[in-house]
Amino acid sequence: MTYTFKIRDQIYKITLEKEDGQLQAEIEGTSIMVDFEKIEDDLYSVLIDGRSISIGVFRKGKKVQVFIEGELYELEAVSEREQRKTSHVVSGIQEIKSPMPSRVVKILKGEGDEVGPDEGLIVVEAMKMESELKSPIAGKVKNLMVKEGDAVESGAVLLVVSSE
Amino acid sequence: MFKKVLIANRGEIAVRIIRACRDLGISTVAVYSDADRRSLHVALADEACHIGGSAPGESYLNKEKIIDAAKKSGAEAIHPGFGFLSENESFADMCEKSGIVFIGPSPEAIRLMGDKITARKIAHDVKVPLVPGSDGAVSDVEASVIADEIGYPVMIKASAGGGGKGMRLVRNKDDFESSLRMARSEARSAFGDDSVFVERFIERPRHIEIQVIADSEGNTLYLFERECSIQRRHQKVIEEAPSPAISSRTRKKMGEVAVRIAKAVKYKGAGTIEFIMDQRQNFYFLEMNTRVQVEHPVTEMITGFDIVKWMIRIASGEKLPFKQKNIVMKGHALECRVYAENPETNFLPSPGVIEYLRTPSGPGIRNDSSIYNGCEITPYYDPMLSKLIVWADTREAAIRKMESALREYIVLGVKTNIGFLIRVMNNDEFRKGKIDTGFIERHPELLKPPVLQIEPALIAAALSMSSSGSAGQPAQKPSSNWKLFGRRSGVSRSPLA
Repeated sequence: MTYTFKIRDQIYKITLEKEDGQLQAEIEGTSIMVDFEKIEDDLYSVLIDGRSISIGVFRKGKKVQVFIEGELYELEAVSEREQRKTSHVVSGIQEIKSPMPSRVVKILKGEGDEVGPDEGLIVVEAMKMESELKSPIAGKVKNLMVKEGDAVESGAVLLVVSSE
Repeated sequence: MFKKVLIANRGEIAVRIIRACRDLGISTVAVYSDADRRSLHVALADEACHIGGSAPGESYLNKEKIIDAAKKSGAEAIHPGFGFLSENESFADMCEKSGIVFIGPSPEAIRLMGDKITARKIAHDVKVPLVPGSDGAVSDVEASVIADEIGYPVMIKASAGGGGKGMRLVRNKDDFESSLRMARSEARSAFGDDSVFVERFIERPRHIEIQVIADSEGNTLYLFERECSIQRRHQKVIEEAPSPAISSRTRKKMGEVAVRIAKAVKYKGAGTIEFIMDQRQNFYFLEMNTRVQVEHPVTEMITGFDIVKWMIRIASGEKLPFKQKNIVMKGHALECRVYAENPETNFLPSPGVIEYLRTPSGPGIRNDSSIYNGCEITPYYDPMLSKLIVWADTREAAIRKMESALREYIVLGVKTNIGFLIRVMNNDEFRKGKIDTGFIERHPELLKPPVLQIEPALIAAALSMSSSGSAGQPAQKPSSNWKLFGRRSGVSRSPLA
């Protein structure tokens, strides 16, 4: 069975096959012998070339979280069609999104304002901490979707910067 | 001793205080907000009282509701923990007037030390060295003039501040105006007061603090120092005791200075005097925290002194039976604060549900926490998941133990700083004790994993997609760990005879 995952915007293919009761994983042309036990619903004990790793795995639909030695990996299972879609070029229009549920404290740039790269656009507060969101590109503020004091969800578009 | 104590806090510290009360045979009352009904402190306490909405202002900062809860439950005393109302003079005063013991110093001591400008004056009066800076809160224009006078880099700090909020480092004049604006805005929203002061920034400073404890008769002891130089966004992440950087002579000097400050405000209970120290062991008074500190466990580990229990015993009128010479330290302790946050995005908090949790254990390992499988880390409160504390004979052994303990940790559902903490433990400068408060800023490479374990990650993800349980024969899976345990140890449930 072959699976395709996206990790940190990179696409990887992995094929799992069972041969003589042994599990073989093939990743990008390399074959790896794998021995594994599912210890709990979210915990695997995996032996790769004799190296023992405890791996936490949590899957929700297409999204898989994997925890290995202090590091959380976020993977997404992708289909052939989605793979093609991800290769499009980034345009000169950037949406500035709230990184988490937060409150808009201060708007530093209004609609039509010119901004330079790395210039502060908006200040949001979450968990008692203020963060200034900066423009990734030089351009103009095209749309401003929020006002000071607004509570916003994670991923909500706060404003749009256009380089055109 | 009290019969019943109310804990006006949540999370890990509420659990810590509940356990201390249990040890002393005291019954406990928890208070909780809408978001915290399922929190561990509610489950562990003997009684629990709902006090309002999820926003701290509606619950954990609501003085009237908390005092009401204490009265209704018949609690004789309130332990405020840290944060929230722990350094709130008027709350301590309200407790006193309602005939409830506030487990902490007097309202007067909180007031004197709570205002950083007054605190500096007091420290100055008892001949404690201070960092050069503005003599009190300043206007925008004054601030800029003083910054020029004392020379860049300068630090802008909120007068009513704490925990790094409303604090900004300014390296050059061009950034001063915008930093001042941010500091004031943060101070206003965090403390309702936007007054700030300016002081000289000491290059490569170490953060060293002295734990003091005093009883109501004025017997005041110091429990040595903690070094908390590893900070991100001016908030501590890794703390240790003792400091690898100070001589026993400096230790004694700092301890005595700290006791002088505590005595100057007739301090009672546990408190911490924070110092900034340069590379030549010159130290300057920063501030006094008139409460139990997050990092108190490292002191407990090297002294065997239970700080939280003694806070309660002192508040109930007990005298300290020790003299300074009886307090000895042994070995080395480290604490790592495990946060739900993403080091790769400048430590932005990562709220969510803990989908899976495995915590480290073993000799010399202590995990002070309030999280469990399935609990939610809400955006309402501090995203600290736990404090992992280790003790060993030497600093080197403690670092090794911490690294191994961190490797045992597994957290799914939210991003954590565990990988980052492991990398700090392996960092050469950290291992040599060559640290200062700029350590993290100087080591951006620690924020990202140098080697991604893509292969094991892919294998595990693929395994989770395939439905099969195990590589070998698909053994019948016991439906619960209890059943598994029962099967292994050969016990089974049988009706009572």
